[in-house]
Amino acid sequence: MSVQLTIDGVAVSVPDGTTVFDAARMNGIAIPTLCHQQNETPVGVCRVCVVEAGGRVLTASCVRPAENGMVVSTNSEKVVNARRTLVELLMADHPSPCARQRQSGDCELETLARLEGLGEPRFPKRLSSRGQDESSFAIAVDHEACILCDRCIRGCDEIRSNNVLGRRGKGFNAGIAFDLNAPMGNSTCVSCGECMVSCPTGALTNRRVVETELHGDPVESEELKQLRYFEKVSGTFLELNRNAIVRRNFRKGEIICREGEYGSTAFYIVEGTAQVYLSTPIAHVKTSGGASGFFSRLGSRLAGRKQDRRDGETDRRSIPIDAPVDLPYDSPIAELGPGDLFGEMTCMSLYPRSATVQAATDCVMYEMLRNVLDIMQRNKTLKAQIDDNYRRRALEDHLKSVPIFAPLTEEFIDSLRASVELIRYNKGDVICRQGDLADAFYLIRIGFIKVAEDHPEGELILAYLGRGGYFGEIGLLTEGRRVATCTALDHVEVVRISKDDFQRMMDAFPDVRARLESVAIRHQEENRQRATVNVPLNQFLTQGLMEAQSLLILDLEKCTRCDNCVRACADAHDGITRLIREGLRYENYLVATSCRQCRDPLCMVGCPVGSIRRRNSLEVIIEDWCIGCGLCAKNCPYGNITLHPFRVGAEVKKKATSCDLCTEHAEPSCVYACPHDAAHRVDPNQFFMRRA
Amino acid sequence: MRIDGSHRYWAAATVGLFLIGVSVYVAFGVYSPSGPRGGNGLGLAFGIAGYVLMLYAGLLGMRKKFPVLRIGRAQTWMRGHLWLGLLSFPLILFHGGFAWRGPLTAILMLLFLIVIVSGIFGAALQHYLPRMMTVQVPMETIYEEIPHVRQQLRQEADQLVEATAQIDVEHDDKVRFRELYQSRIRPVLEQPPPELFAPLRVAIPAPLRETLDDLENICEEQRQLNRQVRLYHWLHVWLLVHVPLSIALLVLGGVHAFMALRY
Amino acid sequence: MAGRTRTTKKLAQRIDLNYFKRLYPIPRWRRILSIALVALGLVWLLLARERPYNAGPLAHSHALLGRNCTACHTAAAFGKKVTDQACVPCHDGPIHQKKQTFTPACTDCHVEHQGSFRLAATLDTACTQCHADLKVKTSPTVFAPRVTSFAGDHPAFKLGTDPGTVKLNHEVHLKKDLRSPRGLVQLKCADCHRSAGDFMAPVDYEKNCAECHPLLFDKRFEEPAPHKKPEIVLDYVTKRFTDYIARHPEEVHMADPADPRIMRPPLRPARDAAEWIARRVSDTEMLLWRKSCKECHPVPKPREIPLAAIPARWMQHAWFSHDAHQMLTCAECHPKAATSRETSDVLLPTIETCRRCHRSGADSAESRCFECHVYHDWSKEKRPDGRSISDATRQ
Repeated sequence: MSVQLTIDGVAVSVPDGTTVFDAARMNGIAIPTLCHQQNETPVGVCRVCVVEAGGRVLTASCVRPAENGMVVSTNSEKVVNARRTLVELLMADHPSPCARQRQSGDCELETLARLEGLGEPRFPKRLSSRGQDESSFAIAVDHEACILCDRCIRGCDEIRSNNVLGRRGKGFNAGIAFDLNAPMGNSTCVSCGECMVSCPTGALTNRRVVETELHGDPVESEELKQLRYFEKVSGTFLELNRNAIVRRNFRKGEIICREGEYGSTAFYIVEGTAQVYLSTPIAHVKTSGGASGFFSRLGSRLAGRKQDRRDGETDRRSIPIDAPVDLPYDSPIAELGPGDLFGEMTCMSLYPRSATVQAATDCVMYEMLRNVLDIMQRNKTLKAQIDDNYRRRALEDHLKSVPIFAPLTEEFIDSLRASVELIRYNKGDVICRQGDLADAFYLIRIGFIKVAEDHPEGELILAYLGRGGYFGEIGLLTEGRRVATCTALDHVEVVRISKDDFQRMMDAFPDVRARLESVAIRHQEENRQRATVNVPLNQFLTQGLMEAQSLLILDLEKCTRCDNCVRACADAHDGITRLIREGLRYENYLVATSCRQCRDPLCMVGCPVGSIRRRNSLEVIIEDWCIGCGLCAKNCPYGNITLHPFRVGAEVKKKATSCDLCTEHAEPSCVYACPHDAAHRVDPNQFFMRRA
Repeated sequence: MRIDGSHRYWAAATVGLFLIGVSVYVAFGVYSPSGPRGGNGLGLAFGIAGYVLMLYAGLLGMRKKFPVLRIGRAQTWMRGHLWLGLLSFPLILFHGGFAWRGPLTAILMLLFLIVIVSGIFGAALQHYLPRMMTVQVPMETIYEEIPHVRQQLRQEADQLVEATAQIDVEHDDKVRFRELYQSRIRPVLEQPPPELFAPLRVAIPAPLRETLDDLENICEEQRQLNRQVRLYHWLHVWLLVHVPLSIALLVLGGVHAFMALRY
Repeated sequence: MAGRTRTTKKLAQRIDLNYFKRLYPIPRWRRILSIALVALGLVWLLLARERPYNAGPLAHSHALLGRNCTACHTAAAFGKKVTDQACVPCHDGPIHQKKQTFTPACTDCHVEHQGSFRLAATLDTACTQCHADLKVKTSPTVFAPRVTSFAGDHPAFKLGTDPGTVKLNHEVHLKKDLRSPRGLVQLKCADCHRSAGDFMAPVDYEKNCAECHPLLFDKRFEEPAPHKKPEIVLDYVTKRFTDYIARHPEEVHMADPADPRIMRPPLRPARDAAEWIARRVSDTEMLLWRKSCKECHPVPKPREIPLAAIPARWMQHAWFSHDAHQMLTCAECHPKAATSRETSDVLLPTIETCRRCHRSGADSAESRCFECHVYHDWSKEKRPDGRSISDATRQ
């Protein structure tokens, strides 16, 4: 059925149900719009498309269905005035030139304003800013430029069915929101880009990722869309992020990335296989000699776990790296194949590369920056694939690499595979809170979490856990509540084992339970000890000295500045000193720059191979697979970690070293070698409080 | 090393051994057939004991070259050096019978006197100066790195002044400030006179005063570094007398022992 | 202050980690000076040859040896270097006593290189090394077991006893207005006791006694009898009388008056010369043996007078020089002489007398052992072979 109507004096005939706007458009008459987009359901919120249709009021042409005999005027004086006033009102609050106008010069509102010949708006700008949201990697949100046209919401709901965007607030405080008004980057937004493409102004714009220029062949968006993961991504968005993903071809034997290097890209293997391994010797820096023999000297060499067993060292059989597989300790080498994604942590959190990847056959890979990886990771298909990968390959290794879970049998792990959940957290998310009911056990797949106890004086950091770590068992074993709060420090993915499965595991394997319990008891004891913090003195606090469990202090009233301590430390450690005779003072003591065995060991956050940890609550132990990337040295706020170079064949490899208190000897070398009784290793709380 | 109560066992042992030496000397040395001499049995015993203690004292230098060898704590060696070294003085006097004798022995005695006196002087310095340094130089750094640190301070000062370009004041003020810095402050950055900044402060507009405060702080740090250099020299230059003379003493003493025993 | 902050990391990062490996001025100069001083010392030792090792100037008596160290010092394995073999070619040093338990080496007591003074002037300690606790080889010693110094525990002088062979009363002899052939005299010590350099010359009859105590035996003769053995006196007397009667034969027949000297009653005249001579000799004998000689000598039996044998040297073990004490009067050290009546009085001074001046300390006379005692028994001296001068002084 068709409908006959007159638009601007032209008689047109349109099918029944056509809107006035479409009717005009079909007949070559353009009506300006802001909130209407052809591929979305019209809502008529902006009122820019109003026309005279003979009614009492002007009518929004995008929603008004054409009726027989309508007489429509699209440019009468009344309509033009209304339009102009509307645009002027909108321009009054618009941060012109907005981001889109600056980037591409085609902000629809500003274009309209120009077409209408509007100058400076007569109305004052609103006083309070509506803010910006920079949390998403891909899209910049500028609420100041938003005209609440609803196009993004409809794009997210109707076109992409992601249902992330919605409205919040009312009236003057209305705005768009992601999920329940979460920052965009922390929401369930999958970065498909549809909202950005729909936005008429600069409220949602593409973020330019400025860093690296990736070498490689650019990938056409059509090719990308061949991949299942990019199926649902907006083509325009892919176009805009063209330079953020490239194809790389590697010949057999080429090194794709080296351990310890800093990078910002992740790799996805399309064809071919690659070997991933650690080329740094799997050994720790051992201070040898000294304990036996009268004239024995101390020297530094590399020694593996088998040659030199330190207490507190783990018996981990695999080394966690930033890839779908873990490397076994004894021969740290594994294979990656098509469909594997590696380098996530480097790309998302800018950690150093955790291992060396070498092409075993000729390979084709995609190398991508953070924004594209973000798109991929949010993609449900890819996520499902990664999860599946993990369940098949890594879960078993992961569980078995923790010595406590060694007794678990194949069948049990099989049974676990299907029921575990892989959950993703963003920076700052709380995974479980102190006091909550314990309902799950967690293994960490990637990322770092902080385990902290709440105290009246503040937060007491109990541990930093990384890949391969686990938490949540104390609450489950005691069938009570969570004893600490676990927070994600960066992009974290955990494997969640439900309470029932955990219970099954405990019932089926009583020795696993026994081990877990003994570990739990030990942790609780250590936590209790660490919690006894006396009332700190003022300067003590400002220097952060109560963070330390062991300080190397030099009594400046006895020290003759002879540097014997530094020489001794260097002598004991192959010429590299782990102690610097410089730092801030506390009373008449110099707090030397030497590992403080902090309660809150910031050095441990971010280790790409998880090799720096703490043993029996005191000194830091660096496991054999340290790759010498230097992140811990950067993180340490006191500069206490230095990198110790070793010649291995023709190359120079580095291992991170920090003061190890010379545990093989009765007392640390620096204290031993000071001729003036000036150097002491003390527990600051006991030492300084006792004197106070 | 601060000589405090923890030295009492060493001091008691030294005094005890000294008294034993005195009584042996008086009882046997004074009454030996040819009087107290280095050549008879008792004199030789004193000489050997004194020389062994001197050698031990001299070995402290070697001990410091191998700080990690587990051959006794450095502190023990240091205390031994002080007290046993002091004990060697009366022992050698007993050995020589309080006489100068020939040229070589006279020079040895002179060297020995200088070494002992300089050692006591140095011990006194090491007792008092560290505390003085701690009190007078709060911004102390490592002596050997002072030139490097001075360089960094100069760079920091330059950067501070360059950063004034961002501050919101008249262009002329900024230029004047920079000129002031170049002409009045930069040349004397390493030896700043005491009242450098007070007159300058008046001439500068308020927003730049913070930079001036930072520059003043840098100058204060330089002054402290100068003070540190002076105190460090006091604390260490006496070693230029003590160490070379003691090595010469040990070598010539060895020659004396050899020649006396051989002839 | 305002913008500047100090944190441990910033401070630590200013420092180059290898700073302590470099050699800065003070340690560098320490090293340079150490090597330089030692080198200087060794060069000096090399250039000065034997001069540095010379412990002191030699005694004048050895000054001729000059720089020739090997004249006495021999290089051998470690042990005593200047042995007695160095001294013996020029000096013999006989031992002190056969019974001494050990013999010290020459250099134990005689220390050279002390400058120019008498090498024989040893320290007391050279002597006290034995005499402080005297032990001898065989029987216990008769000498004092412990002597350490003159002023201290030196035993009293063993003066001995008067042999009693001569009778003398000092008091009589020293009193005023003594009858003498020359009239009244006052004798002085030096009239009888004359110094022979060190010791007093023995009192001699002819020199010291004969003037007042002539052995006149008969008025007829002016010459006294010789002061010799009784046989000689008898012979002499007999001869004189024989000569006399030969010249005066008439006196044979004269009566012999009583002789109060010998309490002889008068006698009828002698029958002949022989009897007269016999009577006269008998009278003389009576006079001499019963009276004259007995004045000073004990006469146990007529014609038997033991030799006086007054010791020329009363203290055998110490040496004393009267000449060295010329500045003193006799009575200073022999005060009891003027009042001594008994012959048995030994008028030698005690140790206290000597100690008045020979004390320890400054302002006193030398009281070390060597002043009076000699270690070497020079009576047993063997003449050494000697050495040629050129041997001894060869550089």
